[in-house]
Amino acid sequence: MEILMSITVGVLFMVGTYMILTKSILRVILGLMLMSHGAHLLLLVMADLKAGAPPLLGEDATAFSDPLPQALILTAIVISFGVTSFLLVLAYRTYKAHQTDDLEKLRGTADE
Amino acid sequence: MTWLHLAIISPFLLAILIPFLYRYARNIHTGWFVFLLPLALFAYFLTYVPVTSGGGTHQANLPWVPSLGIYFNAYVDGLSLLFALLITGIGALVVLYSIYYLSKKTEPLHNFYVYLMMFMGAMLGVVLTDNLIVIYVFWELTSLASSLLISYWFHRQASIYGAQKSMMITVFGGFSMLGGFSLLYVMTDTFSIQEIIAQADQVVESPLFLPAMLLILLGAFTKSAQFPFHIWLPDAMEAPTPVSAYLHSATMVKAGIYLVARLTPVFGGTPEWFWLLSGFGILTLTWGSISAVRQKDLKGILAFSTISQLGLIMCLLGLGSASLYFTDADETTMYATATLAAVFHLVNHATFKGSLFMTAGIVDHETGTRDIRKLGGLMTIMPVTFTVSLIGTAAMAGLPPFNGFLSKEMFFTGVLNATELNIFNMETVGFIFPVFAWIASIFTFLYCLIMFFRTFTGKFEPSNYEVDHVHEAPKGMLISPVILGSLVIIFGFFPNLLTYTILEPAMAAIIPDSMNYIESAIFNIYHWHGFNAEIFMTLGVVAFGALLFINMGKWSALSIYQKERDPLNRAYDGSLDGLITGSQAVTRIQMTGLLRDYFAFMLVFMVMLLLYSMFYADAFAINTQDLAPISPHMWVLTILFIAATLVMPFINHRVTAIITIGVIGFLLALFFVVFRAQDLAITQLLVETVLVILLLLAFYHLPEIRKETFKPVFKLTNAVISVAVGVTVTLIAFSAHAMQHERPFGAISEYFIENTYELTGGQNMVNLILVDFRAIDTILEVLVLAIAALGVVTMIKLRMNGREDV
Amino acid sequence: MNSLVVLPVLLPFLVGSILILLVKRHALQRWISGITMTALLVLSIILAVVVYQDGIQISELGNWEAPFGIIFVADMFATLMVVLSSIVGFTCLFFAFRTIAPVREKYYFYPFYFFLLTGVNGAFLTGDLFNLFVFFEVMLIASYILIVHGSTNYQLRESFKYVAINVFASLFFIVGVAYMYAATGTLNFAHLAERIDEMEQTGVLNVIAILFLLVFAMKGALFPLYFWLPRSYYGPPAAIAALFGGLLTKVGIYAIIRMFTLVFNHDPTFTHNIILALAGFTMFFGVLGAVSQFDFKRILSYHIISQVGYMVMGLGLYTQLAIAGAIYYIAHHIIVKAALFLFAGAAQKITGETHLKKMGGLLGSHPVLAWMFFITAISLAGIPPLSGFFSKFALILSGFEEGRYIIVTVALIVGLLTLFSMIKIFMYAFWGERKHTEEQSQMKIGSVLLPIVPLVALTIIMGFAAEPIFQYSEAIAAELLEPDVYINSVLKE
Repeated sequence: MEILMSITVGVLFMVGTYMILTKSILRVILGLMLMSHGAHLLLLVMADLKAGAPPLLGEDATAFSDPLPQALILTAIVISFGVTSFLLVLAYRTYKAHQTDDLEKLRGTADE
Repeated sequence: MTWLHLAIISPFLLAILIPFLYRYARNIHTGWFVFLLPLALFAYFLTYVPVTSGGGTHQANLPWVPSLGIYFNAYVDGLSLLFALLITGIGALVVLYSIYYLSKKTEPLHNFYVYLMMFMGAMLGVVLTDNLIVIYVFWELTSLASSLLISYWFHRQASIYGAQKSMMITVFGGFSMLGGFSLLYVMTDTFSIQEIIAQADQVVESPLFLPAMLLILLGAFTKSAQFPFHIWLPDAMEAPTPVSAYLHSATMVKAGIYLVARLTPVFGGTPEWFWLLSGFGILTLTWGSISAVRQKDLKGILAFSTISQLGLIMCLLGLGSASLYFTDADETTMYATATLAAVFHLVNHATFKGSLFMTAGIVDHETGTRDIRKLGGLMTIMPVTFTVSLIGTAAMAGLPPFNGFLSKEMFFTGVLNATELNIFNMETVGFIFPVFAWIASIFTFLYCLIMFFRTFTGKFEPSNYEVDHVHEAPKGMLISPVILGSLVIIFGFFPNLLTYTILEPAMAAIIPDSMNYIESAIFNIYHWHGFNAEIFMTLGVVAFGALLFINMGKWSALSIYQKERDPLNRAYDGSLDGLITGSQAVTRIQMTGLLRDYFAFMLVFMVMLLLYSMFYADAFAINTQDLAPISPHMWVLTILFIAATLVMPFINHRVTAIITIGVIGFLLALFFVVFRAQDLAITQLLVETVLVILLLLAFYHLPEIRKETFKPVFKLTNAVISVAVGVTVTLIAFSAHAMQHERPFGAISEYFIENTYELTGGQNMVNLILVDFRAIDTILEVLVLAIAALGVVTMIKLRMNGREDV
Repeated sequence: MNSLVVLPVLLPFLVGSILILLVKRHALQRWISGITMTALLVLSIILAVVVYQDGIQISELGNWEAPFGIIFVADMFATLMVVLSSIVGFTCLFFAFRTIAPVREKYYFYPFYFFLLTGVNGAFLTGDLFNLFVFFEVMLIASYILIVHGSTNYQLRESFKYVAINVFASLFFIVGVAYMYAATGTLNFAHLAERIDEMEQTGVLNVIAILFLLVFAMKGALFPLYFWLPRSYYGPPAAIAALFGGLLTKVGIYAIIRMFTLVFNHDPTFTHNIILALAGFTMFFGVLGAVSQFDFKRILSYHIISQVGYMVMGLGLYTQLAIAGAIYYIAHHIIVKAALFLFAGAAQKITGETHLKKMGGLLGSHPVLAWMFFITAISLAGIPPLSGFFSKFALILSGFEEGRYIIVTVALIVGLLTLFSMIKIFMYAFWGERKHTEEQSQMKIGSVLLPIVPLVALTIIMGFAAEPIFQYSEAIAAELLEPDVYINSVLKE
């Protein structure tokens, strides 16, 4: 499972990378979102994925899955939500101000 | 802090006061306040003459940054004192002269005197301290002060150009010199010159010897305007003439000479030192004298003349350093003559060149021009200026009975002796020294004639001048040149005034080891030595020089004569232009403005470095033991997830794209459920829902996303980069995961599993980590959300045009 | 819980939150901000003194001991950085009072300002890897908004790139944390250091080290990861550009130095040589950028990059002298760079321009501005006896002692080019014919310059009184090279 999930994370990063290398603002944002999914998943995979009860002590179990990465991911998800929303609005405002979503046209002039 | 230290920093202290003096005592020319300081300092330094002429030295210690080996240790010996007296003596005369040269009504005098005092203090610091780094500090300050003085009339383009040029070249030399000093430190573990001299034997043995020498000489050569770094000096003539007289002929440009003399006990006696100094010296001498002939501006002639004279002194120091190689009286004495000549000429040059600059300044000041093509016939109009010029020019041309003749004869002696040297390959190529010296002297003689006769003889053409009435300078302005002119005569007739008080102690500092062997006869300086080779050389110089001058009409039409500008300037200007265009090209390649390029550069670099480190550390590992089993529904889920992800780049419809990203997010939440992370799953669902809504809202107004219009080669690059990134992330994940099973300790979360209930009374470990163990993370995460929300509001509502504020 | 350690983070956080409610009250906002900033400055100096005298101070948040809870660790390095952030924060705030348009105050300018400082100070003080990430995010989100504050077309365009690249960098931070957690099972710096020390096989740790180097290099604008910086810093008002120019990249540099002295010191011949190479390229390409530009603010932006190279060079050399030089350099740079950006703002306030070819003759109309700028500019170029010289000198001397001639040569050449580009500013903007109007040259800007005076004074003092500063830097370097002290005081062993 860990190997499969590592590959899945790799795929997320691969596709995410491909998308941030394009010229459309929306694609760049979507690419970053994919990569952040990858990062969050990786954090979980890097802990123990072995069978164990959910990290709730009430459950009568001998083994639990690692609670710490889950807490970290939760924080990371919320943060990336905040940042992504901000980025979205920024992209929207940029589009409105420049009347283009093409990064090629948002280069600015040489020697700036 | 002793009196000596105070003497060094007193000009700086005065510099702080000057703006106030200028402001609150406008009726008195600020120069009068300033004048008192160099005068007092000159008197103060005279009191050291008995000390150093007795062979003594004086040292006063003051730690500055001991952790870095920097001690502000003041040190006076014959060489320092010679320079200190020049700096303060000429300084006093120059300040006096400037009082009449610069009008208190129209000139920003506070700037001028602040720079000038900064320079004077810095220059005193260079020559009166023992610590190389302190010398370096003051050295850079002299460069800075010099540039500021050149830029004194800062609205003129030529001044700015000259200031920049002098700063770039001298600071370049300074930086390289700092490197050389650091190497000396690495060799000797000290920055004290005296201590380094004590370890000179080890220094010569070290492999760093030559690099250190080269770096330091680069500093000295740039400062002392040696070929090919001399090009800044002619442009420095944009400074007011008192500055040219002071910094750019008498003192600052001799800082390089000072440094070379000071370090001769360390480096001297080696062929490299000998050849570099004398070679570049003689080259500079010749180049400078030939270039001076081509100049049409009085100060231009003087600038190139200064360059050539500096070359002369440098060359003499090189030749003299050979004396350190020998330990018997005859040969030591032969080559030490050159050192004596160097020191003597240093003094002489300061006097006659100082007086010539001042008279050139007077001509400029009274007539409004310095162009020898316009000048002429000033002899009767400016009799005093004429007389002083005559004395100065004759000394510079090397005519008796002036001091210049004496040192010029000694110079000839020095180069002739050098041909007898049977070391350093001199037996084969030594003859070039007298040949070049002689040729250079002819040109020196020639430009002296041109400068003098074109200014003072011939016909006076009033129409050439912008001023209505040309007359002699005011008396005050004449005091300084007259004093310097008198010194030229006095030193010419009574050179022995200087010999044992100034020259011999200075020599002792330059070639200390040779002093035991030198025969005292060389210190008897006199005009007539009988009909020896030197006098015939001089006669030849006069004859050929005069011949060339008389026939000037025949060769002055040559184009090489018409071009005034030194061809080496093209190298300097070209390299500056090249630097700017080159840097623009380099910067344009990286800073394309296209986000895709930025990401591409970054990702390529990251992947390469990560893979390299993986390879280097042999870090790749994969653990196939003890893995979690994959259930069939997990296979389905994963394949679905990967498929949805892979489809993303090919979607050319915005709503489809947004829905697909939503699907991926929901699938991720399912993963979380499978991995028994319910809290995460719920959060992920919520966040994903809100984000999808936001995306739809934000992009509802946007145009449809288009197919990418990249060229295929770009697309291929992007694809390669993407695959590489994906592979790298996966490979490191394998290795890190493998490490997890090898490490000798468990994760810290075992602590949470064991202790959460006892410590907190709660059972949901994830929640408790969030709100208790790592509560600050959670508070900050909320803060991030809050800032983002406020940011969104701000971005939407606040719209400025960029001109409202700065 | 040692509250003094927490206050540099808590105070701006609380005040920032309160100010959100007071955005309509301009004067009140200013008063509260000014007083808070002063208090922060005093507090941080007290903290630095306490740490200098009594050694490392720690604060266990929520009383959970390390490595299980999050702790703040105030060692000399961290407290120095906090002091520097307060100094710059203080100056830029008062400069902002004089220069920013009042409408900005209505749009949460001061709250964002204080949240930024919260993030910065937190990043300096935290002793936990993931918490560092969180503080980075606080700092970054505040910086995103401040850099686009005003939403001019230029700002929007360049901020999008700035934000996208920084989001990308943050993603890799999480990736790094994930790898790190897999390899070591812990997050606390001291605990990480201890465990890495005990681990026999360090293969993948080198890779993780390089990943963190890259992540922080993106934040610190190292070669070739600095693309986000030069253009985006042109957009915001001078007070913000100065705060960013002085402070933000240095948080990345701080993290690099912290990680590569405390945690990743297991294979310095590999990691630190890479750092040294990066330092050389960073310096060189940064300064080339500066040489290529003809705009006051853009030249300064590129200089940030080249200067960052020097700091990292000290780490790459990895001797006590070199690290002391790097610390000195950081202190010098933060002060000088902030001052220079503020001067650019002042010049722009007078002339309305930042493009050098449209400026000229300011020396004639505003000599005080000109000379203060001149001192700061040559200090940046490393001309003695100002702060820039001694910091560079320590680095160069150490490079020579280690026989690293290439990097030293690069450092010297870059110094010369720095001077060249700074003199270029002086030549165009301050020398030459006056290009601004008579009315503009009458403008009194004393009150604008006043907040910058302390910074200029500091660069002079740090030069003339280099000995105590250098001793302090050396003490910090010794502390960094002796990580056991840090580890023991955190893990209480």
